Amino acid sequence: MSTHRATSGPQPAGMITALLEQTLDPAYAEAAQRRDTGPADHRWNARAVLAAVVVAGLILGVAYADTRAAAPSSERTRLALVAEVQRETALGADLQQRLEELRAEVSLALDDALTATRDGRAQAERVSTLEYASGVLAVSGPGLRVTVSDAPPEETLDPVTGEPIDAVPEAGLVLDIDLQAVVNGLWAAGAEAIAVGGQRLSSTTSIRTAGEAILVDFRPVTSPYVVEAIGGEQLVSRFAGSDTAARYDAYRQLYGIGFDLVSADTLDLPAAADTDLRFAGPVAREQPGETK
Amino acid sequence: MIPAFALLIGVILGLVLDPTVPLWLQPYLPIAVVAALDAVFGGVRAWLDGLFDAKVFVVSFVSNVLVAALIVFLGDKLGVGGQLSTAVVVVLGIRIFGNAAAIRRHVFRA
Repeated sequence: MSTHRATSGPQPAGMITALLEQTLDPAYAEAAQRRDTGPADHRWNARAVLAAVVVAGLILGVAYADTRAAAPSSERTRLALVAEVQRETALGADLQQRLEELRAEVSLALDDALTATRDGRAQAERVSTLEYASGVLAVSGPGLRVTVSDAPPEETLDPVTGEPIDAVPEAGLVLDIDLQAVVNGLWAAGAEAIAVGGQRLSSTTSIRTAGEAILVDFRPVTSPYVVEAIGGEQLVSRFAGSDTAARYDAYRQLYGIGFDLVSADTLDLPAAADTDLRFAGPVAREQPGETK
Repeated sequence: MIPAFALLIGVILGLVLDPTVPLWLQPYLPIAVVAALDAVFGGVRAWLDGLFDAKVFVVSFVSNVLVAALIVFLGDKLGVGGQLSTAVVVVLGIRIFGNAAAIRRHVFRA
């Protein structure tokens, strides 16, 4: 570009070089020249400059305020969605509560009906054993509370924006397989009933990851994950001495995840949420109703 | 120093008053910001060069903002508003950078 200008003078390329090199308004130089040669122009005093500068500042401020006011509209939508999710979750919890009450009533009525006959009493015994085992009924008793939590967040850089944020290091995140391992360890140690994050586990309950959340029975649970298990006296010592406990104790020291065992005298576990009747057979064939 | 305070007062006024910008004015706001910044940087640079002139500053500020707005307005009417906005931002951006570099040379001698 410069050679072109050198040979042919102020041609079209000159416009761009002028733009790049002559960044100061040429009017300033001309005005300075006029001041040197002619009388000074006093009509444009400092007050006009100040007014212009204030207006310039006003434009900057208004633009900032306007941009800031416009940006949260997406944020507002998000917050509205969050509020709606929370409202519906609360409604779902209420309905769940009501379902549990009704289920307990049904169970009581069933007991009453069965215990009226001698034959029925044996059936009632069997039904209630199955109900406790399958998670249809809420249970309470002594047990173990295992708290698993993500490692404390560390300051890192956001991979998208590059801004410093607090984030849990990847090795310190509790995954669904971790909860599965703890739950399996508890079953193996002799647990009779387990709840994760307040969700009672039945034989068909899933613990899995969806996106960044862990779903237990399709309901999200968040760190710290509280796993409560009811079992006999041996449960606490057997789980504390298990491979699973040893492994997560090592993870606690290595990656900083939370892993905490507390034995409890009384744990109250709710009934499982999703217990549809899927299979039933006539009583006469010695195959009582099985619930899952 | 006083103009710096005036700029600050303007910014604070804009933030505190938080006037609602009418919808038809919204496309011009970013352009007005760039034009105002260009005039301010040009003024500071001229002052450091010892060339500052009140009349040139005020006239260049007002005309910068108006012309930039006019270009965007015409562009909107012609259906090339985005491209003309880009053109204005590029031209004024180059000037802002050039003036900022000159100011930097004045202030830091580097």
